[in-house]
Parts: sequence; structure tokens; C-alpha cells
Amino acid sequence: MASVAAWLPFARAAAIGWVPLAKNPLPPPPFRVPTSGASPSGNDRRCDEKIIINVSGRRFECWRSTLEKYPDSLLGSNEKEFFYDEDTREYFFDRDPDVFRVILNFYRTGKLHYPKHECIAAYDEELAFFGILPDIIGDCCYEDYRDRKRENNERLIDDRLHEDEDKAQPKPQSIRETMWRAFENPQVSTMASVFYYVTGFFIAVSVIANVLDTVSCGTDPETGYARTCGERFSRQFFCLDTACVMIFTVEYFLRLYAAPDRLKFIRSVMSVIDVVAIMPYYIGLFMHQKGEVSGAFVTLRVFRVFRIFKFSRHSQGLRVLGYTLKSCASELGFLLFSLTMAIIIFATVMYYAEKSVVHTKFTSIPAAFWYTIVTMTTLGYGDIVPKTWAGKIVGGVCSLSGVLVIALPVPVIVSNFSRIYHQSQRADKMKAQRKARQTRIRLARNATSNAFVAAKRRHEQYLDDPDIPVDKNIVNPFELQHHHLLRCLELTTDREFVEMGPDALMGGGANAVAGAHPTTGIARLGSPARQFILNRRKWWCCGDRMNNTNATTNEEELDEELGDFQLPLSLTPRASGSTGHIVNINTTNVIQHRPSSASVQHNVVLHSTISESSTNRFDLNVPFDTDDRILGRRKTNSLTPVQEQGSTNDLLNDDSHTTTIPTSHSDIIHRPTTDDKQTV
Amino acid sequence: MGVAMVINTRIGGNTDYVDDGVETLKRYKPRSLDELATRTKFSKKEIQLIYQGFKQECPSGTVNEETFKNIYGQFFPFADTSTYAHLIFSTFDLRSAGFVTFEDFLVCLSTLCRGTIEERLKWIFALYDTKKSGKLTNDDFYLILCAIYSLLGNVANRHYDHETIREHTMNVFQKFDKLHRGYLTVQDFVSYCLKDPLIIQSIESLRTTV
Repeated sequence: MASVAAWLPFARAAAIGWVPLAKNPLPPPPFRVPTSGASPSGNDRRCDEKIIINVSGRRFECWRSTLEKYPDSLLGSNEKEFFYDEDTREYFFDRDPDVFRVILNFYRTGKLHYPKHECIAAYDEELAFFGILPDIIGDCCYEDYRDRKRENNERLIDDRLHEDEDKAQPKPQSIRETMWRAFENPQVSTMASVFYYVTGFFIAVSVIANVLDTVSCGTDPETGYARTCGERFSRQFFCLDTACVMIFTVEYFLRLYAAPDRLKFIRSVMSVIDVVAIMPYYIGLFMHQKGEVSGAFVTLRVFRVFRIFKFSRHSQGLRVLGYTLKSCASELGFLLFSLTMAIIIFATVMYYAEKSVVHTKFTSIPAAFWYTIVTMTTLGYGDIVPKTWAGKIVGGVCSLSGVLVIALPVPVIVSNFSRIYHQSQRADKMKAQRKARQTRIRLARNATSNAFVAAKRRHEQYLDDPDIPVDKNIVNPFELQHHHLLRCLELTTDREFVEMGPDALMGGGANAVAGAHPTTGIARLGSPARQFILNRRKWWCCGDRMNNTNATTNEEELDEELGDFQLPLSLTPRASGSTGHIVNINTTNVIQHRPSSASVQHNVVLHSTISESSTNRFDLNVPFDTDDRILGRRKTNSLTPVQEQGSTNDLLNDDSHTTTIPTSHSDIIHRPTTDDKQTV
Repeated sequence: MGVAMVINTRIGGNTDYVDDGVETLKRYKPRSLDELATRTKFSKKEIQLIYQGFKQECPSGTVNEETFKNIYGQFFPFADTSTYAHLIFSTFDLRSAGFVTFEDFLVCLSTLCRGTIEERLKWIFALYDTKKSGKLTNDDFYLILCAIYSLLGNVANRHYDHETIREHTMNVFQKFDKLHRGYLTVQDFVSYCLKDPLIIQSIESLRTTV
């Protein structure tokens, strides 16, 4: 609140009012006070200067004291000196000027606003960069900010869930896990689908049988009464029932066996429904032998209708509905409560109003409940009606109020349902689009990677042969160092970097794209050209000939979130001992070398290249540290392994480093890597 | 007085009446810088600075009591500033209009910062004299002391209550009221203060540069 500082002189001046009343003498002022009436030059008040902040070209000016109001933030502390540009005498930030405007306003006015059109993630990043906590967003914008943030988090959680679902298919280790997966995701294998449809069919059969059981089927020859189909064909129905229950029982026990956490499974809703669906049968079996408690036995049959709930495993919509009801529990509770209140009130009044009528149906208040319910829900059966005029008035009021009370919580429930339904739809849609999206992302990234590697090649050629006129401006010092580093790596490992052509990425049917495994990494080195694609060792451009048989498509894709550039460096072993020949790189060779490369914690795809072909293909995989972009910047020149964090250590775990070598890579180029000329 | 640009024709007083939720805007522009510089003892540069701060907090150009309260609230974080702010406000509100324009503000500030000691003492007297009767009684002292104590808020190291304040009032009033008349006039007040070197020195120590 800078302007408050402007009022301090006023507050101090007004404080002379305390002086005559002071119990103790007041201390002398902390600064030397000019005793003359003339003011010193007005400048000393502020000792202030205007500073210029240049944010991506847009210049902002403000007093230094404005910024120093918040010494914890970047602009208010010495941290901004890191961004000071001596030549232009301004502070330069390479950030978004629109968001910076909002941030600077915060310093000026003390209120931080959230511009609604901004993406929440971008805004958060800017705040984090400038060292401002989002908690101080002003009340005017705080709700909006919180809502958007929550939505975004939910979306991220959803996405991660789905990612995990996709990823979590490392081959299940045991039969148990296979079965569990089959139960949970029927699309996984044909067996699972078959099972799914069979159980669905039997549920339907069972329910229909229950229904038909009670249809009247002609008369009983012995007694002359009508009898139901269940009685007439009792044996057939019994067999059908037995078959269904058999299936359900088997299914239940299989699920129980397969469940990773049995206790949790037993407690889950679906399991309870399963049990309730089959118990009546068994109880009936035992009780049938006794034959005495047939009344209760009949009641038990009612529970067979619970089998219809088993359909909820088969229907997404039903699950959504169930979930909605659960999440609207409070609204439903409110509805119920208010209805109960209204029912009791109206029933009481009706009872007393109609008490005087002879042979009235309103025999007691509970009897009047029925009337009230029927009226409030506007059913109006007409089996019980008021006869007195008072009763009729009350009845009228009752029905009017019924409409209102029921209509109130319904929109809430509806909107909840709609939100949940849309969420689930969105999730499905995203899943479907995921693969296509990722392919496109990969393509885009590969282009930049290839460009870099081509530049490196050109530079090396230039160094090899100084006669070739090469425009030195192409490669800036940063790139030079980067090239040099890669070159060192090549020489260390006796490999070479190979460029991947775009057709490799298209990956035809065999989906070579599937190579990428999620490893860490945001790589964002200084300039935009430095975005390396994470294409993993799947990208062997060589080694395809003989070993397509070995290659199995690894359908599991990397989930590359747009923000993550995951680049593992994969090592292709050099085809040893066959210099000068066309080399087919063996996948077996690859596999052999894998362990060693794994220990280096990154995989470098290098393989020998033959110089004759002009189509060099580079496979450049570089791991980067996910979390720390700034760290990434500092490590611009170091492609040395950054830890691969997280669950994505498939590099090491992956047993399926089969390489899908697209057959389009027909040239295998080989060049001895120990080229003395290539000392960079 | 300066030009009062009234956007809705509502002049003076506190505009409690809110028109359909839209507050009436009164914009007030002070007269020229030169005129203010001649009327007060501030230089132009100083007036500029003061005005910038003033305008920042009160964009409409006038201050009402509520704003005073808030401003004091920012300096005394635990305080209940309403009484004290009210007292100060009434001394600044020269025209008893319910709001203080920049000119009023500047004039008073000029007195407080650059005025002679007598002028300041007279201002203090006016501050105490809430009823504008020209005489100060024990109750006036009590009132002002309550206001000052309430600036402390509840975080003072020693608890105070009405007894403490009464006692304090008693002590101070007796010191002033040498003639035991039960009230003080301006001259009494000023002459007493002038004779007390501690008071003079303390007042000087609060003299602030702008």
C-alpha cells in the first residue's frame, strides 16, 4: 500500500495532538529535522528514481519505491539485479507482457487481479517466476481463480489417471493380474470381451426369467385356479435359474481370486450386489429342504431383482447416474427432509379437518400420509379424497406446495449429472484422440531435432574441410559447444549420432512411433531450436533387415504431454567389426548392449553410418531434467544424464526393447567413427 | 474553493443514498498549483508529491471520514481507529461539509507541519474541543484519551481499562487546570503548553518533512 506511505507525514503531524496528554516525554525524531520553514528540495522525500522494465519489448516505468513495497518478490528484492541490462539501463524480462501488466498493477495498487482470459497454468507460472504467491489475489478475482485452478487440476488428474491406465500395462506378471485386467477392461483381449458379453447375456436371461416367472400361463388342471408360468414350468425355470446362478457364482469367485486387494473388493458396491443377487438362490436351496418357512422363501425371491444392478458394470451411463446420485446426496437429503416436513404438516391438518366426516378414510394421521404424498407429487389416485370444504382447501394448498418443493432441488441434481456426464465423455474422447495427437506432436518435434542435427553435421563438415565456405553465423557459440559435446560423446563411445528421417516417424502400420517411452524431461534449452525429441531407442534406422521378426510393435505409447519433452538418449551399438560393409544392425546386438547403456542411465542412439548415402539419419535422444527448466538452461551444454525420474523408468525395466524398424530405412550407412579429421 | 464537478447533482453531505447500486460520483479538482503554493507554506514540488499520494488513496478528490479511518487503520494495525479518525476529521473539515477536499487537507497540513507553535497549539485545542464550545473540560480530555488508547488496540503490554483512562485524565487535567476552574480556555491551554519545555520539544520532534 504505497500510497499509505504518502500519508505518513499527515499521521505524524496529527500526532501532535497526543503531546499535551503524554505521560512520558516523546522521543526525538529519527532523522534530522530541518528547522527552517523552507522545505528542502522536494526530492528528498522519495529519494526515488524511475526504473524502466522492459518485458519482451514493452516498456514499463515505475518508481523504485513502488516495487520495493514487496521485498519478498523478485521485483522488490535484489533478485531483479540479475536481469539488469547495463547498456540500456533497464531491466529486461523475457516474459509475457500482458501478464506482467497485471503483476505491475499489483505493486501499484496492492491488489492482484486474475485476468479471465489468461490460461491458468501460464498465469501461475508467471506468478511463480516473479515470486508472488497466488493467495493474495484480491477478492474480486479470487473465486474465479480458484475455480479455474480446480478445473485444471481435475483435468490433470484425469489425464494422469488415464495415462496410468494406458501405461500400467506392463505385461501382467501372473494369471491373477491378467484376469483382473480382463475383468476391469473387457477390451483388453477377446477372452475378456467374450466373458463380458456372456455375463451380460446371462444377467438379461435371469432378469427376464424372473419376470416371466410370474406371468399367468393358463389354469391349473388340478385346482382350477390360474397359475403362473413359474409354477407350470417350474423345472425349466429352476434349471435356468441354477445355470444363471452357477455363472454368477463362478464369476464372483473368479473376481475375488483375481482382485489385488480382496478386502477392498469385498467391500465394494458391485461385490455386494453380486452377493445379494446369488444368495437368495442358495438360501432357497437350503430352506427348500425344510419346507416350512416358505413365506420367507418367497420374500427372498424379491432379492433376485438385484441382478439387474449387475448391469451397471456393463453400462457407463448407469455408473454415471449412480455417481451423480452419490454426489448429490445432500440435495437429495434436503429434498427428502423438506418433503417429510411438508407431509407431516399437511397430513395432520387434513386429519383434523376431515375428522368430523362420517366414514372418513382419514382414520389417522399416518393414514393421511398416503393422501398427502399422492397429492404433493400430483399423482392424485383418488382413492382417498377430502369431503369437507376445509379439507379441500388444505388439499389444494398441499398440491400447490408439493410442486414447488419437489421442483427446487431438481436443477441441482440435473446440473451435477450433466457435469459428470460431460467429464466422462470428455475423458473418452481424449483417450480416442490421444494417439493421433501424439503422433502429430512427435512429428513436429522431430523436425526441430533433425534441423539441429543437420546443423551439427554441417558444422562438422566445415571443420573437416575449411575450404567449404560456410557462413559462420549459422552456428552461434552455444551451438558450437553443444556440437562439441556431442562429438566428445561420440568419440567416447565410438558411436555416431544418426538422424531420423521423417518417414521413420510416420511409422506406417508397424507404428514405429510407439518407440517412445515416457522418460523424464522437459528440455528447453536456451533457444527454441533446442527442443529435442524424445524418441527412444526404437528408432533404429538400421538393423531392420534381419530383425523385423524380432520386432514387435510396442503398442504402448508414450504419453507425451505437450509440455514434456522426453528424450532418452539411446545407444545403438555399433556394428562391430564390419567397417566398410553395409551393416545390419542386429537387434540382438542392441539387446546385448542394452544393459550397459542402461547403466549409463540414458540410451544414446548412435549407430554407424555409411558415408555414401546422403540421407543421414540422426537419432537424437537426450534426456533432460523434467522439473527444472532453469536447470535445463544451465545445463544447456550438458547432455549428460539427468536422472530419469518417476515411473517412467521403462528404459531400465523395459523388457520389450524390441525395435520396430520401419522398412523404409533401407540405407544403412556406416562410417568408421574414429575419424581423426573429426576432432572438433 | 475549487471547482466541484458534480456528476450527479448531489452536493455536500455524505452520500448515503445509493442510486440503484451505482454510487454518485463527485469529482473534485483543486484549484491551481500556484494558488495553493501561495496559500500554504509548501513548495510546489511538495504539493505535487502530497497530491499524488492524496489522489492515489482518494481518486475522487475528496476524503471522507471512512477513508481517514482506513488510513489510520493501516498505520495502527490493531487499533479501533474510528474515534480518533473522527476527531481528526472534524478538525480538517473546516467547512463542516462531511468531506475534506484537498485544499482543506493541504491547509491543515501546512499548519501542522509548517505553522508556528501557537498555531499548532491552537489546532490541538480545536482537536480536543469537540463540541466547539471554546472551553475544554475533563470530559473532553477523557474523550481524546479514550480515542488515543483505542489506537493501541488490544496488544499493549499492560491492560488498560476505563479506570486507567480516568486516572490519566485526572492527572493531566489537574496539571492544566491550575486555577481549578473546571474548564480551560484557549489562552490557558496555549500559555500552559508554552511554558512546558517538554511539550514544545515533543511537538517539534513530530515535525515532519514532506
